[in-house]
Amino acid sequence: MATIGHNNLNAKLVLLGDMGAGKSSLVLRFVKGQFLEFQESTIGAAFFSQTLAVNDATVKFEIWDTAGQERYHSLAPMYYRGAAAAIIVYDITSSDSFSRAKKWVQELQKQVFERNMNLSNTRIGGGWGVEFKEARVYAEENGLFFMETSAKSAANVNDVFYEIAKRLPRAQPAQNPTGMVLVDRPAEGSRAASCCS
Amino acid sequence: MYGTKSKIDLAFEYQSQIPVLRPSIHSRRANLTVKFQDLYGFTVEGNVDDVNVLNDVREKVRQQGRVWWALEASKGANWYLHTTIGQGSALTSSLKFSALANAITLKKLIKKGIPPVLRPKVWFSLSGAAKKKSTVPDSYYDDLTKAVEGKVTPATRQIDHDLPRTFPGHPWLDTPEGHAALRRVLVAYSFRDSDVGYCQGLNYVAALLLLVMKTEEDAFWMLAVLLENVLVSDCYTNNLSGCHVEQRVFKDLLAKKCPRIATHLEALEFDVSLVTTEWFLCLFSKSLPSETTLRVWDVIFFEGAKVIFNVALAIFKMKEDQLLLTHHVGEVINVLQMTTHHLFDPDDLLTVAFDQIGSMTTNTISKQRKKQEPEVMKELDQRIRKLNSLKADNK
Repeated sequence: MATIGHNNLNAKLVLLGDMGAGKSSLVLRFVKGQFLEFQESTIGAAFFSQTLAVNDATVKFEIWDTAGQERYHSLAPMYYRGAAAAIIVYDITSSDSFSRAKKWVQELQKQVFERNMNLSNTRIGGGWGVEFKEARVYAEENGLFFMETSAKSAANVNDVFYEIAKRLPRAQPAQNPTGMVLVDRPAEGSRAASCCS
Repeated sequence: MYGTKSKIDLAFEYQSQIPVLRPSIHSRRANLTVKFQDLYGFTVEGNVDDVNVLNDVREKVRQQGRVWWALEASKGANWYLHTTIGQGSALTSSLKFSALANAITLKKLIKKGIPPVLRPKVWFSLSGAAKKKSTVPDSYYDDLTKAVEGKVTPATRQIDHDLPRTFPGHPWLDTPEGHAALRRVLVAYSFRDSDVGYCQGLNYVAALLLLVMKTEEDAFWMLAVLLENVLVSDCYTNNLSGCHVEQRVFKDLLAKKCPRIATHLEALEFDVSLVTTEWFLCLFSKSLPSETTLRVWDVIFFEGAKVIFNVALAIFKMKEDQLLLTHHVGEVINVLQMTTHHLFDPDDLLTVAFDQIGSMTTNTISKQRKKQEPEVMKELDQRIRKLNSLKADNK
């Protein structure tokens, strides 16, 4: 849950998605600015924190980067419980990983009501397995913020986290007008905004 | 010739004359990070003190080796196999006594560590792997690997995916030869037990087994005995139910053995499983330095899976004061990670694990597991039903 102290916000963020989709790479790029061709496979989940400045506030992300293998699914509630936002990652070259991403969306929509969700795809190289348009339409239909990222080139990585930070629900809107930023991009953000408020 | 000093020398001299500006030797040493290889070839990042600790550990390993050699010399090469008593009445009382004495010596000795050179031999016999292997034809492993060669299953695909992601950068594991050996062990096992198939986490366990055992076949049998006899069942199967059971048992133990920590963490809404799940599934191989991990495994293979609880409790117990000062989830994790990553001296950990936690018999742990099993099953079942109803809603 996002908690506020003055203009500082602590927000739990969870990354979900198929194994090898690039969850850890995305986080590592964001937190340490690094990219490793072969990132150690995550077991259970790994924890990271990173602070971002958004307008006049700072957002401290407490990030849970989860293991992707199907059987680890049973551990997931422990990591997404109380999260303020989720990034669901799939690999654009793998349609299986996209189906898996959809399942995560479904689960989170039902299990956790106050949710700020983000669908992110990572470019792992090779051909295109998932059409950009299909994913975009899906994200729009489900009120998700959608972005294509590359941990390797760093493209859009910081932006994903920044956009999430902007969309986080503010508990005291009167004192904290940054919450209104959500309105700026109604096409992508409005439904995410309404489910957060 | 002597009159011209290089600028560097001069600068050095100048600096050494103003000691006030220099940080203390301790803080300098603590801040100086060096990279070095440990006994098993893993690159370790640490400060100078860590290097010194690791050198001390090497020396202790050598000393421990001498103790084992001396025992072999006096009791015979396979003395540690003669520790079971009560096998028929044919044994004379003096033999029974010597078996008992051996058992006591062995238990103590193993907690002090098995020398790396002897590890393959001692683990193989004491864990039950040798016995397991002896029940099948000699060619079992070769036949199995040949039979499954070229087969593609979801498990083999996942294994292939994880090979370069298992201890990347290790001088042997991260080579084509290392990948191929690890692949054969994991693939063979995925066919031996299709319920387990391949579970992420086993890649780290099998990799370390390969490093210790030296031969693939022995590593395979160690993996088999670990999953089939040493650990609780279903730790790695489809919904990790065994692992869920262990986590619940662990939480109860933490509340009992370290009540102040448990209460504090609960107040922070910190679920210890967030951190301990990885410890249990990788048997510490991803968190502790290699020799410390293997010292834990020495005892696991001899005394059983309850040892994991001792060690996990010890990590919390060692840092009780620091943990009680934490205010955030992030701080708790930092304390635990800093602790595990720097436990270069295995004795620091094992002394706490076995002398300060208080004894827990396999029997009491088994009772705890039995108590938790139905709860876990109920919870997992409810979750599956909920997820299925989601699917139905969306149709």
